[in-house]
Amino acid sequence: MSFFEVKDVKKTFGTNDVLLGIDLSVDKGDVIAVLGPSGSGKTTFLRCINFLEKATGGTMTFDGETFDLAHIKKKEIAKIRKKTGFVFQSYNLFLNKTALQNVMLGLTSGRKMKKEEAKKIAEEMLEKVGLKERMNYYPGQLSGGQQQRVAIARALATSPEIIYFDEPTSALDPELIGEVLSVMKQLASEGMTMLVVTHEINFARNVANKIVFMDGGHVLEAGPSKEFFENPKNARTKEFLNNITTQHET
Amino acid sequence: MTERILGILQEAFTRILAASIQVTLPLTIIGFTLAMVIAMIMALVQYAKVPVLTQIARLYIWIFRGTPLLVQLFLAYFGLPKLGIVMDAFPCAVMVFALNEGAYCSETMRSALESVSEGQIEAGYCAGMNYLQIMWHVVLPQAFRTAFPPLSNSLISMLKDTSLAATITVADMFMAAQRVVGRTYEPLWVYIEVALVYLFFSTLLTILQRAGEKRLGFFTSKEVNTKKEVRA
Ligand SMILES: Nc1ncnc2c1ncn2[C@@H]1O[C@H](COP(=O)(O)OP(=O)(O)O)[C@@H](O)[C@H]1O
Ligand SMILES: [Mg+2]
Repeated sequence: MSFFEVKDVKKTFGTNDVLLGIDLSVDKGDVIAVLGPSGSGKTTFLRCINFLEKATGGTMTFDGETFDLAHIKKKEIAKIRKKTGFVFQSYNLFLNKTALQNVMLGLTSGRKMKKEEAKKIAEEMLEKVGLKERMNYYPGQLSGGQQQRVAIARALATSPEIIYFDEPTSALDPELIGEVLSVMKQLASEGMTMLVVTHEINFARNVANKIVFMDGGHVLEAGPSKEFFENPKNARTKEFLNNITTQHET
Repeated sequence: MTERILGILQEAFTRILAASIQVTLPLTIIGFTLAMVIAMIMALVQYAKVPVLTQIARLYIWIFRGTPLLVQLFLAYFGLPKLGIVMDAFPCAVMVFALNEGAYCSETMRSALESVSEGQIEAGYCAGMNYLQIMWHVVLPQAFRTAFPPLSNSLISMLKDTSLAATITVADMFMAAQRVVGRTYEPLWVYIEVALVYLFFSTLLTILQRAGEKRLGFFTSKEVNTKKEVRA
């Protein structure tokens, strides 16, 4: 039984129908890669299921409770958000806070945890992403890859049941992508449940256990990773995979 | 320079200094403090898009930024008594300076608030914080940092602009100088002297501004301060 499930998620911006009914179910420990051409609605989907954008329709079941996405209450949003983490493409660290403070804030301010306790957890998380020595640096003093690792530590600190990643490596210089992916790989191996929008096809192939392929606001294909790469069924999926392989060869 | 002029300058200096302590500095400090309160309210109302109050704030800013300070002073001091509103010159000047400066500074503060990226606010929500917590820990500290230099400039401008209050009979530094000139017919030296006293005060404020910017600049500097205490 899936602990997290969304059904028929729809989003319209003005007259632009961006999501036309997305279904997804997630089991504990799943690493799901969401693939698809740009403009297909991947970011919008993640934003809708973490309420940064109000969905036009759809339902969410989280830990046995079902919510109507279009009419969900503020209190319910706050409750669900405390069980989720979000990693943005552009890191979005708090610029006036050190790495350590960035990781602590969700605990001290968001969850009223005692400072010493929060500090201990934050240091542990920064250690996990390999940045303990940089804990007193401000975001402006860190490289993009380091900032994104702090952002991952920040998402981890609140012990979420699932972390959403929106193209976590797309804003990074090529030489910095590896350090972030290896942190994510480590999380996956520790059993963290992750929903990852990405263009890193190798991550999707080697780390994810399920793939969701989106195009034009629909899920065109979804299934186990191995099957998706070895035996894609949809014509658009095949084309997409072909394009990626040719890009990698050239 | 003759002995007579030196004597005049010495006497004028005592009067100018007394006027600065009794009038110019209090007018600047009280006026600017009130301006900051007004500006903060007007900026937050607009930032949070509070209906009606936003429109009122826009109207107020439009009026006070769109009309000359001197006209506002005259209107308040000479015009309002016709409506039965009579004020002493000093409180009248404080009010006009606070309202005028408040209109300008609220724009500075609003743009400083808006310069904090939306992404950080979203990250705050995702970390489980609410609107007020995000404002307090993330938005306001950064906005304050951004607004500090322009607000300091406004304070320095205001210090100099208080000389306009002399036109509505406020006995400030400039009026003290004018009175000495009236008696002695030494406009060149006495006005140079009062100019130098203004220059002294604005230089002092500039030095304070530099020091403040340095203190506030820590998180934008590339330099790592390893000694900094952690305050989350
Ligand atoms: N805030 C918004 N307002 C209007 N249109 C938007 C907004 N955000 C995204 N869109 C539109 O939704 C579509 C999908 O965008 P997005 O979810 O960012 O795609 P992806 O992440 O797959 O590249 C695009 O056509 C985009 O223009
Ligand atoms: Mg996107």
